[in-house]
Amino acid sequence: MPEFLQFAFMRHAFAATTVIALMGALVGYFVVLRRQAFASHALSNIGFAGAAGASLIGADPMLGLLAFVIGAALVMALAGREMGERDISVGMILMFSLGLGALFINLYSANANAAIGILFGSVFGIDADQIRWIIVVSLVLLGALAAIFRPLRFASLNPEAARARGIPVRAIDTLFLLLVGAAAAVAVPVIGSLLSFAIFIGPAAAAQAWCPRVGAGLVLTAGLALTQSLGGLVLSYYANLPASSCIGALSFGCYALSRLTRRLA
Amino acid sequence: MPNVADNTTVPAVEARDIAAGKGSDPAFSALSFRIEPGSFTALVGPNGAGKTTLFESILGLIAPHSGELRVLGDKPCRMRRQTAYVPQAAGIAHDDALIGREFVCAACNAHRLGVALPRARRRAREAVNAALDTVGARDLAERRLSTLSGGQRQRLLIAQALVEQPRLILLDEPLSQLDPAARDWIVTVARRLTERGIAVIFSTHDINPVLGACDRVLYLAQGRGRIGSVDEIICERTLSELYATPMRVIRDSGRRFVFEGGQSRALAEAG
Repeated sequence: MPEFLQFAFMRHAFAATTVIALMGALVGYFVVLRRQAFASHALSNIGFAGAAGASLIGADPMLGLLAFVIGAALVMALAGREMGERDISVGMILMFSLGLGALFINLYSANANAAIGILFGSVFGIDADQIRWIIVVSLVLLGALAAIFRPLRFASLNPEAARARGIPVRAIDTLFLLLVGAAAAVAVPVIGSLLSFAIFIGPAAAAQAWCPRVGAGLVLTAGLALTQSLGGLVLSYYANLPASSCIGALSFGCYALSRLTRRLA
Repeated sequence: MPNVADNTTVPAVEARDIAAGKGSDPAFSALSFRIEPGSFTALVGPNGAGKTTLFESILGLIAPHSGELRVLGDKPCRMRRQTAYVPQAAGIAHDDALIGREFVCAACNAHRLGVALPRARRRAREAVNAALDTVGARDLAERRLSTLSGGQRQRLLIAQALVEQPRLILLDEPLSQLDPAARDWIVTVARRLTERGIAVIFSTHDINPVLGACDRVLYLAQGRGRIGSVDEIICERTLSELYATPMRVIRDSGRRFVFEGGQSRALAEAG
């Protein structure tokens, strides 16, 4: 066993990161395919306000996070459908939530460290109970994604034809946003709400630049996400740097490389 | 499922005295027509005449206010799996990352839940290849969509509509924003589909590119509609009745141009 796995906190971090990286990246593949990166980032940030609000009233921050993210996903699904309008309504919902988050933090001045943990992740603080929770939710989300895979793929690539074929495109859109919201919520302890792009967008965007097929692209996305996330943990352990900084840097490096090689190709 | 045995005799679409529209005001009324399997119908008319409304009615997305509309012998919403709608190529912008084959494949068994098993995947690959061959786009199978022209994308859209073997295909302005060579290609492909017994309804604001290919013209204007051969419809008598104002039709080197009232203002290029 490598030296860093002798510690329980490292084993927990590895287990949680493995599950979150796989689940987050596979959900993220469709986020990138559907050009909903901004909505996914916003949902992840909105969770911060929910967690801060839950702390304020003495509830579990995870529940507050989930409640806010799912509420925001529903509002986004009902709001603007047009591409340009969609970005504006998502941004306004994000802004309003961050304002609430600032208010909650201001009222709950006792512990600013908790807020830092939500914003930037606290992967080395995850305990066995949280891991069980993360695994169960991730499996449910992956199951849901697999269940709607074919209608989601058609509705993402050609929504008008899908609607004409009788596929409930609006319901699929809403379901997918809820899925993204729940995935973002469960990933917060690992990567933090500000750095969700590292897992949700980076690997999928790099994979789509390199691989133009859905099946192989999903496999490559999962592989990249695992390599970057676990590599980030190991790097963080040896270099004594924050884990999310290392994962984020690797994700950025990989994405930059994918753009560069596509440009040269 | 009704009418499987007599595919060739059941009309692809049969409208009896229908009125339809999005709000309470119908876009057209008292519209009756019959579209046979394996026929090529050009759906022509000015903007706002109800071409889109008619497509949505045939797809069962909106219900006619009155009258009876049957698709392949049944209610429109029950025939969606056998009816394919091909939107305009400009409408697909989210898929630059994928190659043509993956785009076409997305329609395979798209109504089913779960991921495809190996056997279904093999069948899907065969269906995709056959559809690509039909539209002459086998060479686009491995190319990224972002590198394709409008006409090439349009061909992939038609291929995608074919993978589930529809009996009726609705093409929504497939010629818009295409150059003449690409237009000819799309018309040829659409004509080829009719040889397999597929009924094609081809909406276009310009009749000229489909003059040689279409069997019938369904012309919508001013809330009214007429169906017939090109000569029966694109003539001064019928168009004057439709528009309720004197219309002129000028023929020049095989093309037809439509004008209002003998004055120089062109309504549209024969449309």
